[in-house]
Amino acid sequence: MNKSENWYSEFSKHMILLFGTIIVILPFYLMLSFSFKSPAEIQSISGGFFGNQALMTDNRCLKAGKSKEACTMRPVIYNYSAAFSEAPLLRYLLNGVIVTLSIFFIQVIVALPCAYALAKLKFWGRDVVFGLVIFCLLIPVHAIALPLYLMLAKVGLTNTYASLVIPWTISVFGIFLMRQFFKTVPDDLIDAARMDGMSEFSIVWTVMLPTAIPALLAFGIFSVVAHWNDYFWPRVVITGDRDLMTPPLGLRMFKSDMDGNEYGPMMAAATVIVAPLVVAFLLAQRRFIEGITLTGMK
Amino acid sequence: MTNSRTHIAFVAPAIILMLVILIFPVFVAATLSFTDYSLGNKTFNWVSWENYEALLKRSSYKKMFSASLTYVFIVVPFSVVLGLGSALLLSSLRFGSEIYKTIFFLPVMATLLAMAIAWEFTVDPIIGVANATLKSGCEVKWFYSLMTGSWRGGEPLDSWYGLGCVEGMPNWLGDRKLALGTISFIGVWQAFGFNMVLYLAGLTAVPRELYNAAQMDGADTAWKRFRLVTWPMLGPSHVFVVTITSIRSFQVFDTVEALTQGGPSKATYVMVYAMFEKGIKQNLVGIGSAITIVFLAFVLILTLTQVYFVNRRVHYS
Repeated sequence: MNKSENWYSEFSKHMILLFGTIIVILPFYLMLSFSFKSPAEIQSISGGFFGNQALMTDNRCLKAGKSKEACTMRPVIYNYSAAFSEAPLLRYLLNGVIVTLSIFFIQVIVALPCAYALAKLKFWGRDVVFGLVIFCLLIPVHAIALPLYLMLAKVGLTNTYASLVIPWTISVFGIFLMRQFFKTVPDDLIDAARMDGMSEFSIVWTVMLPTAIPALLAFGIFSVVAHWNDYFWPRVVITGDRDLMTPPLGLRMFKSDMDGNEYGPMMAAATVIVAPLVVAFLLAQRRFIEGITLTGMK
Repeated sequence: MTNSRTHIAFVAPAIILMLVILIFPVFVAATLSFTDYSLGNKTFNWVSWENYEALLKRSSYKKMFSASLTYVFIVVPFSVVLGLGSALLLSSLRFGSEIYKTIFFLPVMATLLAMAIAWEFTVDPIIGVANATLKSGCEVKWFYSLMTGSWRGGEPLDSWYGLGCVEGMPNWLGDRKLALGTISFIGVWQAFGFNMVLYLAGLTAVPRELYNAAQMDGADTAWKRFRLVTWPMLGPSHVFVVTITSIRSFQVFDTVEALTQGGPSKATYVMVYAMFEKGIKQNLVGIGSAITIVFLAFVLILTLTQVYFVNRRVHYS
């Protein structure tokens, strides 16, 4: 193969990939663009990416009895300020942080000791417990959603933070993953710790935990991404109380309340919700791809 | 240490949670699927197989199975082929592969619900750029003749595009015939980057020498080398990618709930959405549980197929 032929094939590959890139980027591009533009520009599909940013007057603000000056602003300012004022977006974001972090925290507290026992302690019934873990890996979340919802409703826990967290407190995948990891930790390390008189409890948290940071980080990324983005479960257990809604559910409510021209503020809210993970992903790509694919079996 | 009882404290919380949160609910669903229970009712009646019979007989559930299976049969092949195709292209690039990899993985990371709404606006009949672009293509001669097929002698008005130019472009989510395809398109958009990364990992495990050996044995074209070396060596990746994608496709919910609510006329009435609508929104727990159990059966069959193939060692090492 000669050189020009090589470049020709490289060029055509880039052409195909660029076409794919356009389709993949398209909704992101439009989401951002809508969040910048005025309602009129959105309706008439004009104004390019950023819009003309001509001053606009917010009618709702006028109706609220404020002066015309206070209600006149650039569309981009209008969209983002409406996103935060029309809906409790800040509250949704805070809920998202509370829920995802509590889930991850509890998952680690439950999974780590269990994984350590399965990997490094010999006891009667260990294989049975491990078998149970493997069996539970087969159960998809959607298959337990309805009965779990009924159970939570029976004890009056729907519409609480607890209902958002409880189903995820047990991560059999986390146990499985950490057990495989702990298997590779040399026994000498644990024996040395025991000689020093450490209890099994402190071995887990002061010897095993630090060695497990890389695996834990991958699992953490997986867990946080999955639960920040989760829409199904919050939709099931949170039925009215806006103060408990997570970001995707809040955005969904925004959509069903929408009257006419709110595309701009809605896409501003969507941008704010999508941005944290996308930015984190761009900063630590390799780790994110590792975390999400390594744990892809869920 | 074998005498110590610490292991009980270590495994007990996990065991209890597994039993209460994962195992027990499955039995609850199985039991309730034979009743007419509703949340808030004090009593319920045993109805034997009535709920399952309804699933087989009523037309709305027939539509449910057909919607779910069609979705899976569109999303799986497309996202697997696109994932493999882009992985092969990226691994053969001289430069720029990292950038494409990042971009193609973005949909996997981004909140699906938010992106679904962005897609809805993209394909909106009034404010959507998709139809606006198609419409402006009507005026461009080469595009028009390409899309309508008139370049090879077809009658322009016989094609959907020619018709669209005259009567207005399709309503992608509002048309009964197109809605499921549009939802599947979003599914493919979201899933193929994940498959691509799995295939890229699989490709790095293929030993370089095999390609040289194949070339010496007469595999002189790239296609032959692909068929003889790459494709079989990716065996484990194929099994993993296909089962994961199928299981995830069976679980589709976000896009349907946000964009079509199962409509128009049940065209996108997929299983998880039906389970949600019947079991939770309409409080028909019996039928919702029956859907849950059938759904579980589908997913278990897929997972066990995967385990079977993995144990048969579809790899060549």
